[in-house]
Amino acid sequence: MDLRLIIQDNVTASFGLSADEVIGERVGTGESVPTLRLYTYKSHCGLVGRFQNIQNELRLDFCKENNITVNRRPTGGGAIIMGDGQLGLALMLPGQAEDTYSRARDLMSTLSEGIIKGLNELGVNAQFHNKNDIMVNGRKIVGTGIHRAHSGSLLFHASTLVDLDVKLMLQVLNTPLEKISDKLVSAITERITTVRRELGRDIPLEDVRQAIARNYASTLNLELVAGQYTADELQAISKTESEKYLSDEWIYQTSTVEDKFGGAKFKTPVGLLDIRVAMAGETLKAVYIGGDFFAEESAVAEMEGALRWHASQPEKVSATLAKVYQRREKDFNGLPLEAIQETTLKAIANAVLVGTLENANPYDPSAS
Amino acid sequence: MSNTQEFKIGTDLYSIPADRFYGRENHMWASFDHVTGNVTIGMDALGLAALGDLAYVSLQPAGTKVERGESLGTLEAAKMTGDLTSPISGEIVERNDLTVRNPALVNQETYTNGWLVVIKPSNWENESAQMVNVDELPAWVDSELKRYRQQGWID
Repeated sequence: MDLRLIIQDNVTASFGLSADEVIGERVGTGESVPTLRLYTYKSHCGLVGRFQNIQNELRLDFCKENNITVNRRPTGGGAIIMGDGQLGLALMLPGQAEDTYSRARDLMSTLSEGIIKGLNELGVNAQFHNKNDIMVNGRKIVGTGIHRAHSGSLLFHASTLVDLDVKLMLQVLNTPLEKISDKLVSAITERITTVRRELGRDIPLEDVRQAIARNYASTLNLELVAGQYTADELQAISKTESEKYLSDEWIYQTSTVEDKFGGAKFKTPVGLLDIRVAMAGETLKAVYIGGDFFAEESAVAEMEGALRWHASQPEKVSATLAKVYQRREKDFNGLPLEAIQETTLKAIANAVLVGTLENANPYDPSAS
Repeated sequence: MSNTQEFKIGTDLYSIPADRFYGRENHMWASFDHVTGNVTIGMDALGLAALGDLAYVSLQPAGTKVERGESLGTLEAAKMTGDLTSPISGEIVERNDLTVRNPALVNQETYTNGWLVVIKPSNWENESAQMVNVDELPAWVDSELKRYRQQGWID
């Protein structure tokens, strides 16, 4: 079977997202062939996950002032920034009826294989971590999400960081972090990585794209065939773009799941621990572990990654933290696991609605 | 309940009560109310074990007519979004806004407060006959667990 490869650069998010949804649905009904789209979006845009409240995830004023377009993906996951340094991937494959509730995390692993092998071939030691993330030594390098269309087909989205302007990302994304300082930018820079950073050279995005394309064809055992959209597809894409991905109704829709930010501080024998959490209802969307202790940043990043899109029940959070800690204990340089567990749970307990953050004190004074 | 099927995945204990019907492929449960004639719909523990913790759920409003296999709404779990498919045909007469606001309820109180919609069925007799009933339940649970293990979804 063939895998159609569509390469596009500098496209708008509204066109790209519409193309992914339309082709994804049509692949399921047999109207379109299995397709791999490898693209870059016009710099820059901020994209939120299917159900996220965009006003809580993105700094919309900043985006407007800086000509950064915003949109909503059909796939799950968190908010991201996309532009000419981020290689987007949309893989559209027919699904199988019996897979309806197959483990999302295992699908994620299977569908991520082409990227991992492509990056490995270039010399980047990318691996699948926490059954959810593609990382290099604990640092995130690719973001992923899946949508199963009504026709049964699968749309797999991924964004590979060939390069990244971390400061711009922090200005676009709304996080529970305080003022964007140089210190914060350098801390976050240590917890994320890019293909160019890993390779120590300015590799052209095109080389990354070709390596990933080749490896998808081989891992899926399909013949890669360069192609374009058909006239029928373009017509359907244009219709969905104007009716959905250019409409405020889709982009600015809200979820009744409440977004919350929380924080807690704790003085440990090896330094201050400052933990912030972002939650959607009872789900942890993101955890930021900061402070003035000395630890290997990749170990901290791995711990943060393990709690992304994780249940917030205390026993589950503590168990996940313990699992990462056991693996990376020496990299935490004496920072006690119990302190990380207690402070994280306190940050969760302190979480308040995002809209009321300015008026609330998320910190327990007794903890600092 | 004596006929409830229980199974363990890792250290987590799951149950499948025998007082209702189950969709063979979509893992939705359907519970018939003999007084009102309506059917309450939810997701079963096997489906949830495969999906993980739900982060978001959206549901069609009351008044929506659905056919068996059509979408009752959408869900997100572990960064995957997809349809919640209806195991029966009829009209949605009530949706559970509590689960929309707090999707964790579906995982935590699967067969009680974690229900999704109530449907006034249009073809219950025929469609329920195609679902898994109390007699078939043990064999179905076993075969589903076996399939999950073969696929590598559970240990």
